[in-house]
Amino acid sequence: MLAGALRVVIPVRGIPATTLLPDTTGIHYSATLAEPAGFSSAESVLLVLCVLLSAGLFFWRFAPILRNILRSRPDADFSLRPIGRRVWAFVSEVLCQSRVIRQRPLPGLAHAFVFWGFLAFALVSLNHLASGVRLGFLDPQGRLGSFYFLFAAAWAVLVAVSIAGLFIRRFFMRPVWLGEKLSYESGFIAFLIFLLMVTYLGAFFVDKGSTGVNLLWWMHTLSLLIFLPLIPHTKHLHLVLSPLTVFLKRDGFAKIPPLAGDEDFGLVAGKDITQLISLQTYSCVECGRCTEHCPAATTGKLLNPKEIVLGLRSYLNELGPASETPLLAEARDTAPADAHQQLLSMEAAFACTTCGSCEFQCPVGVQHVPIIVGLRRGATNTGAWEDTYGTKLFLALEKSGNALGLSAMERDKFIQKQQFPLFDGTQEYCLWLGCMGGYDPRGREIIADFARVMRHLGTTFGVLKKEKCTGDPARRLGNDLVFQTLAESGLKAFETAKVQKIVAICPHCVRTIANDWREYGIAPVIEHHSEFMARHRDHLPQQAGESIVYHDPCYLGRYQEIYDEPRAVIAQAGTLVEAPRSHERSFCCGAGGGLAFLGEEPGERVSHVRAKELAATGAKVVGTACPFCNTMFRDALSAISDTPPQLLDIAQLTARAIPASPDPMGGTQ
Amino acid sequence: MKIVVAIKQVPERDAPIRIAADGRWIEEGDLSYTINEPDAYALEEALQLKEKTGSGEVIVVCAGPERVESTLREALAKGADRAIRIEADDLQSLDTLGVASILAEAIKAESPDLILTGLQSDDLGLGQTGVVLAELLAIPHATIIMQVEPTGAGLKVKRELEDGWFQHVEMPLPALLTIQSGGNKLRYATLMGIKKAKTKELKTVSPTTPPTAPAITLERVYLPEKQKKTEMLTGSPDEIAARVVEKLKFEVRAL
Amino acid sequence: MSGVLVVMEQRSGTWNRMSFEALAAGLDLAAKLGLECTAAIVGDAVQSLPWQSDTQPKTVYAVEDSLLKDYTSDGFVTALEQLIRKLQPGYVLFPHTYQVRDFAPALATRFGQVLISDVIAIHDGPVFVRQLLQGKLNADYRHSSTGPCFVSVQAGSFRAEASSGGSMSMEAFAPALESSTIRNKPGERFRESAQTVDLTAAPLIVSVGRGIGEQDNLPVVEELATALGAELAASRPICDNGWLPMERQVGSSGQTVSPKLYLAVGISGAIQHLVGMKGAKTVIAINKDENAPIFEVADYGIVGDLFEIVPALTKAIQAAKS
Repeated sequence: MLAGALRVVIPVRGIPATTLLPDTTGIHYSATLAEPAGFSSAESVLLVLCVLLSAGLFFWRFAPILRNILRSRPDADFSLRPIGRRVWAFVSEVLCQSRVIRQRPLPGLAHAFVFWGFLAFALVSLNHLASGVRLGFLDPQGRLGSFYFLFAAAWAVLVAVSIAGLFIRRFFMRPVWLGEKLSYESGFIAFLIFLLMVTYLGAFFVDKGSTGVNLLWWMHTLSLLIFLPLIPHTKHLHLVLSPLTVFLKRDGFAKIPPLAGDEDFGLVAGKDITQLISLQTYSCVECGRCTEHCPAATTGKLLNPKEIVLGLRSYLNELGPASETPLLAEARDTAPADAHQQLLSMEAAFACTTCGSCEFQCPVGVQHVPIIVGLRRGATNTGAWEDTYGTKLFLALEKSGNALGLSAMERDKFIQKQQFPLFDGTQEYCLWLGCMGGYDPRGREIIADFARVMRHLGTTFGVLKKEKCTGDPARRLGNDLVFQTLAESGLKAFETAKVQKIVAICPHCVRTIANDWREYGIAPVIEHHSEFMARHRDHLPQQAGESIVYHDPCYLGRYQEIYDEPRAVIAQAGTLVEAPRSHERSFCCGAGGGLAFLGEEPGERVSHVRAKELAATGAKVVGTACPFCNTMFRDALSAISDTPPQLLDIAQLTARAIPASPDPMGGTQ
Repeated sequence: MKIVVAIKQVPERDAPIRIAADGRWIEEGDLSYTINEPDAYALEEALQLKEKTGSGEVIVVCAGPERVESTLREALAKGADRAIRIEADDLQSLDTLGVASILAEAIKAESPDLILTGLQSDDLGLGQTGVVLAELLAIPHATIIMQVEPTGAGLKVKRELEDGWFQHVEMPLPALLTIQSGGNKLRYATLMGIKKAKTKELKTVSPTTPPTAPAITLERVYLPEKQKKTEMLTGSPDEIAARVVEKLKFEVRAL
Repeated sequence: MSGVLVVMEQRSGTWNRMSFEALAAGLDLAAKLGLECTAAIVGDAVQSLPWQSDTQPKTVYAVEDSLLKDYTSDGFVTALEQLIRKLQPGYVLFPHTYQVRDFAPALATRFGQVLISDVIAIHDGPVFVRQLLQGKLNADYRHSSTGPCFVSVQAGSFRAEASSGGSMSMEAFAPALESSTIRNKPGERFRESAQTVDLTAAPLIVSVGRGIGEQDNLPVVEELATALGAELAASRPICDNGWLPMERQVGSSGQTVSPKLYLAVGISGAIQHLVGMKGAKTVIAINKDENAPIFEVADYGIVGDLFEIVPALTKAIQAAKS
């Protein structure tokens, strides 16, 4: 059967294909392979006209989008290097569809089949159109051709089944994250794709001489040609843009780009939207993964990361990339009419914990955190954001240099009480206290316990005489003035003290010093205490197997990809239990992005949602690795349960097994 | 409305307190300075008045050595239109009357409609410069003001009295007000403000009249004997209650 | 030039009780310097005011004029200037009230003087002690000019035992005043209608935390607040549970308060709470955990069972007040 089929050749130039068709097996090579029976020159001309019309419509609709992207402000810090990482992202996220599949395996795989099917079909479709004007180049009798058409047929089956499945999911199962509104366009496009596949497959079963072939041929062609102009103004634009978006996206997770020049205050108006942001907003496929995993969106806040992106897209379409009209709804003179733009609001932007879940999830390369922080910068750097707590925080940072607005003398007293030596260059590490470690009673317990661990290990350390906030909350809330002042003062403090290595208990401090400060200088090497303790785990006491559920802090996990080290420390202190959402999928505690210092949150508290989840594991202890998570869960755990699990930082978990030393400077080693 | 805000630069609130060698002030070497907080509220009131009326000018005036220019720049960044520094290298040598005199001279030249200042300074806390300045300029004043409302030719202000009482006072312009802290919400400095401030005018003037001998002098400063320390009260509940009542009576004066 | 003049304060026939503290300071200073102490009281028809002290200055001048009925700086400065020019005192003392802060600096300026304000003690010399840098430093001031020395004394720095007895005849002083020289038009005094709780302005706060255990126990603390005449506040968990309204929450996500007294009951003192009340002048903490961080910021700490201590304290306060 196959052998018979392989003999079939169709587009041999000059020879009417039908004459060569055998009619013995009942299965024919697709009519798409050749001009259908009686394909006239008029039909060829019609085909050419249709193709031109379709392509013309496509470009007519695509040109304004392209223009908006190209006319957006260039990204000042853009560089193609390191190219390796870009290629890898392209291979993994585009070609292998890793992000599509990872979080939604079944629909993700269905999508991947459609995508791979499209790739496989590219050649077939090209040949299909070419054959319409007798320029077909795939020889069904050749080895390649004969194999390829069957290969494509196999994909056609997968695509047809997948797209039907996705159609059923979208229109009958209706997952909430896809949005409440049914998009009939996407239904129609799904139908077109289905039709494309069915007509391709159908041709195998249709007698070559029949008019059915003609019908199928044209149906297949028209499906393709109608699909093309629908792409630019539907979410299927991602077919065209997202491979590029993934390749070009800013290097670094949740990276906040430097401001460009004296007139750049962040995302204030259309004129501030950069080309990358523009490209990303047009790439959004509206899958809602960002929203599904957003701690704000899922606990009743106004923020919906998808709507932020769609709001920007709608803004660009309506007002263009040169507009001076404010982006944020509250800052406009007249409220925007478009629903997406209404949700592009200050309230929403300032509800973000910058946990980065959205950006981590996004399969098409949208980088939400720099966008949301960019909107906040636009509001804060111009003074448009007026919030009692935010103002209090900024004034505290301006005046006292710590987020809590406490006197630096409080820190001095703590250092004296703990007998922490001042860093003088003779010690190996500079122990960074941070606002929580220096001022918060519980944060101080963590620092004190970590200091005991260091002493136990015989590691020498000292603390800075004066320490100011790293500027993390100011950075994430978009106050570049305060952030810059604090970053520069911090860099100077390290330089003056000749610090070589820093260790800190707070992932926010570590991230900000190691990464965000780079805009103003190079800080000494800094590591998180989980890294330090994991490296020395062999010298840490092994404790009996009490169950400890570990909560991945966003700024340690997603932001710095540190997952194994804290687990290694916990494994030494008890039996590690995984939370239902862990590692990259960890759910925020609600404190990040400066939100720990803002007022009461509307809706359900993020910390309560997570605390319930952690408590439900039945673990005896909740293990944290971030003083902010710790402080959030302290309230949350006791609010959700009368008998909550114990709450301990990994330093405390370790230190509790270290015998107390009467001499605070004496180690046991 | 043309508004002058008289501000003072003072040591940061958590500045390290070390007595200077001459025993008359604290070591200034490693002090960092900031705007006197009550004056920040006066500036805020001025900015809000300008915003409310939609027109006018806010001029900040500060007497002191060159370092006070940073504080003036900050005020410009928050929204003041112009700044004037009155050269005075040694403010310590002047008393309130001396300081108010050089302020009066500089402010007179501007002939403003309204002068605002904080109700007292965080460092010396004498709480008089505003009132003395009004007296020297022969204009009416009102102190500890919570709200300011322009009324045609004059002002209607809300004055804070003791024990939660308030009073409205109507007064003609030009006038001087000392502003109560906390009546408004302060604004934070913004990047945009700082960048705009770079292009705003900051001029320096020198006082022409020689200072008169001070009427009062600060002879020495010293740390107060009682430092805040937690005193634990022990005993039976009744004994504790009696001791707390004693504290409430004589130290807190709540009874 | 001699003598000590104490300018006392009244409003609508009621003494400002700080007046007698200033009088005590004046009498003390006069005794030290061997001078005579006189007093003055400004207003309209103030001669009938009952004297509320066992101690008496030599003379009390009733500076009276219908234009002095309601306080204005212009009226008071002009009237007192005339009295001082007549009496030629070496020292003029005031209580450091809001009213004095409004006019005394201008009065001193009329004499080319500077008021030494908010004095907490007067030593030999005389040396006047003031607080600088929010009380972190004390300073000795001296009068260094000829002419009257103007001084205002801080509330509570000089003890005046209240007394209902005693009488004092006053000497009338009629200043020459013209209504045209009084530029300000004062309105009626008023209080803000208390629709919402304004903890930020409350001078006394009793605050309750998780140590209270359950909502049904709240009356124990409410009674204490009522007895003390204090506002009731709470830490976050209490408001979270809906036991008290959110507007009563003190802390980083609630109100920032700076009362004269903050009595923390069953509050451990998480940082979010401490930042909201660190401005309190005096902090008294009751907690069963002796290691509770609240004791780090407390002036007075009581380790024990709040259900024993609070009722005892309520009773003691009620007894002290009656």
